[in-house]
Parts: sequence; C-alpha cells; structure tokens
Amino acid sequence: MRISKKGISAVLWTGTFVILWEAAAVFLHYVKEDPMAGRKLPLFSEIVSSFAEHGSSLLAQAAVTAGYTAAGFLAGAAAGILLAVVMKLSGVVEKTALPYILAAQMIPILGLAPIVFGLFKDVTASRIVITAYITFFPVAVNFLSGMKSADDDLVQLMEACGADKREKYSKLLIPYSLPYLFTGMKLSAPMAVSASILADTLSARNGIGYIIIYALYGGGTKGQFWPAVLMASVMGLICFLIISAVEYFAVPWKRKGGNNV
Amino acid sequence: MTEKVIEIRNLNMIYSNGKGNEKKVIDNLSLDIEKGEFVSLLGPSGCGKTTLLRIIADLLAPTSGEVSVAGSSPREARLSHKYGMVFQSPALMEWRTVLENIELPLEIQGVSRKERRVIAEKQLETVDLAGYGNSYPAELSGGMKQRVGIARALSMNPEILLMDEPFSALDEFTKERLHGDLLRIWERTEKTIVFVTHNIGEAVYLSDRVCVFSSNPARLAGVFDVPLARPREHVMLKTEEYYTEIAKIRETFEEKFYENI
Repeated sequence: MRISKKGISAVLWTGTFVILWEAAAVFLHYVKEDPMAGRKLPLFSEIVSSFAEHGSSLLAQAAVTAGYTAAGFLAGAAAGILLAVVMKLSGVVEKTALPYILAAQMIPILGLAPIVFGLFKDVTASRIVITAYITFFPVAVNFLSGMKSADDDLVQLMEACGADKREKYSKLLIPYSLPYLFTGMKLSAPMAVSASILADTLSARNGIGYIIIYALYGGGTKGQFWPAVLMASVMGLICFLIISAVEYFAVPWKRKGGNNV
Repeated sequence: MTEKVIEIRNLNMIYSNGKGNEKKVIDNLSLDIEKGEFVSLLGPSGCGKTTLLRIIADLLAPTSGEVSVAGSSPREARLSHKYGMVFQSPALMEWRTVLENIELPLEIQGVSRKERRVIAEKQLETVDLAGYGNSYPAELSGGMKQRVGIARALSMNPEILLMDEPFSALDEFTKERLHGDLLRIWERTEKTIVFVTHNIGEAVYLSDRVCVFSSNPARLAGVFDVPLARPREHVMLKTEEYYTEIAKIRETFEEKFYENI
C-alpha cells in the first residue's frame, strides 16, 4: 500500500505541532514556573488525559453542535444558491438586495442572536437560523460571481443553439459555477461551526459552546475547557474537509488544477 | 443557377454607450451570399465583421436594415438550427466529454439520447477525432479542441457554418492543418461558410469571395473574387497566383487602412 505525500505531510505537521506545543508548555510550567501556565498553555499531555476522562460526554456535546451546524449549513447554502440564482435572473433584485445583504453581514452574531431568539422564540430554530445566516453569504456571493463570469462564447453558443432560460442555467451557468460554489462553501463551513458554537453559548443548555462557557464561568469542570476548544477547531477542519471531499467528486473536471486542498 | 442563402439589405449598426456617444460599426451594408459559397469577412479589429456575423446569427439585433438567412428571419433561422457556429475560443464545456459537447445542440433540440450518440460519433470521425469521444476537453490540444467545436457546429447538419476567427488563436502549423480539414469538410458537405478573419492569406486560401472591411469609418471597402482553382492544397500557398491575390487585397489596405487603425 502506498501512503500519499499529502498523508505524510499531514502527519508531520500534526506531530510537529503537538511537540512544539508540549515543549512550550513544559517551558512555561517547569522552567519559568509561571503560576498562570495552565491558563495560557496547558500541557498537551494533560489535555489528552482530560479528554480521555471526559471524552464521551464531549463527543456527545460535539455531536449536538455538529447537528445544528449541518442543519444550519444546509439551509444557509440552499438559501445562498437560491438567492444567487434570483439575483442573476434579475439585475433589479441584485442591485436592491445586495447592499442590504452586505449591511446585514456587518451585524456581529453577538448582536444578531438576541434578535433571532426574539423573532423565533425557539432555541432550536434560532440556533439553525444563526448558523444558516453565516453560511449563506459566502455561498451566495461566490455562486453569483461564478454565474456572472461564465465564458461569453459559451453563453453565445447556448443562445445560438436556441436554448431556453432553464437550459441556460441547467446546462451552462450552474455547472460552470460549481467550482465557485464550492469555494463559497469551503469558506462558510468552518464559519458555520463557529456560529453554531456561539449560538450554543447564548441560551442553549448543550453543545460544545455550552461546555466551553460552563467550564469557564459556570462552575463546570475546568479540565473540559481545553479539550472542548481543540474539539471545536477540529470540527471546523472536518467540515472543511467534508466539503473538499464532496467537491472532489462533484467537480471532477477541476481535479487536475492541483489547487484542491 | 444561384440561390441566395444570406441576403443583407441596407444594414446599419450603431452602438450607443448611453451617454450620447455613438459608434457606427456597420454603415448601409448590402451583401448576398450564395448557397455553397465560402465567403470571408476580412478586416482589422473594430471594423464590424464580427458584429455582422452576430447579426446574421441573431445574437445581435441591427439598428436598421433587413437580413434574411436561409429564406427566413435570422431569429427563425437560429431557432430552426439553420446555422452552426464556431467561435474563436473552442467554447467547450469542460465538465462534458468530447461526445457530450458535440451532442449539446442535439440535446437542446430534443433529439433522443441514442440518436444523438450516433450523430456525434459520426461528426467526431468527420474531424478525425474518432477514439477521443470519451476524453475531456482538458486532455486535448488547442487544435483538437477547435475540431471538436467544428464537429459540434456540424451536429445539427446546418446549411450554414458561421465561423468567428476560429483559427486565430492557434499556432501556424495547427492552423494550416485545420485549413485543410475545413476545406475538405466544406467540399464534401457543400455547406455555405461565412468566415470572419483578420488574416489576408487565410481569407484568400479558403474563400471564393473575400469581403474587405475597413474601420473608422466602418464600411465594406471591397469584395474580391478569388479565382484560384479548387480543390486547394497546401502547395498552392507557394504559388505566384496566391501571392497575386493577396497583393490585390493588400492594396486596398495600404491605400486606406493604416492611417485609421
């Protein structure tokens, strides 16, 4: 069996990262004897043993957050795709909607969350909406710019062949913009995880974000903090990798470019 | 007996940028093209030759004047697939195989899957690419891609081929090979070809008639019959007759053109 170059480099990077972390933590703890070392940079080995202790409950909470992330991401991506098509169909919609969408993106989630909770009066729905809200913008903008950059000769060709609007979209604009769509989704997938975790902290009673807040301020197990933080970043990475994997199969004609992560 | 396939009467095309600036790119043009004729539209960029081709193809609406294509309006001709179009770029869909690209116009026309495949395979042989049907465009050379573009234009078996500088992006050797291919296809299928080019030699080598356009002001500067014998072979490119024809056309350019480019 051959091990890919990519696989080797991933193992090397992770290994180096862990060793450097542990070395820095040991330095803080035992050489400088910093009393705050545990807060600044705990021993990696401690995080691992803490994970071993709380692992199952952490994984269960991560699964809760992952569920909301997935639901919110799918809803947000669908909304983004739909909005991009509507904006492409109508220049008026694009010109009127885009400034508002852009302005809406400037609202921090922290400010948005109470509004969403107030509107939906339901924690589950609000968590999904907040995640979807973060997802839809990069998806819509990238997908739209993909459709707008479709090769002019191809557009003329479709016209010359007597294609109707539906065919222009299904046979040209949408397949042409798929790589752009995936760029948008790869951007928004880790953001969806962060948004979902933030939503956990705001009024939910479970999820990885809740564990983090509870560990910090709520009298929860301190030992859960670092494993939960690491878990959150791993979740973001996994979401990115899932989208990349889907892209690999959905956009096979772009594989040779070598720019795929 | 001559049958006119394309008739153009008093055609005008004025581009307006909406700020009162107008540019006349076609000025009161009248031109007839006969069935089975190979006609080149020759001129520098900005002379309106591509605009004229796009008006014939119903991809642009003229400011005024009458155009008849295959006995009907350009629109009807387009919708009933009276012409096939070849662009300067190969304009292939990179997510489709070579055969699927050739099938595109048939697919839009609603030809059955089975029938499409038979026609596409046959056209692929016409352009000497049998065996490449399941390749993707990215796997082909520039010349091969352009041949796929020609096969696609032929797939609906149109009366007319409209070609917009199809070989101008190819290297000299590939170009000469494709000239030979195109002449062979034209002689066998007896199609009417309207060929836009800015290359005098190419226009002379391929055409029965060369329409020379000038820019600033845009107008038809002259129409030249090319009396060279058919079938034309590459050896002809070394003959004095060939250079005499080029010189005749070149004179038009030298007198009136260069100061205005």
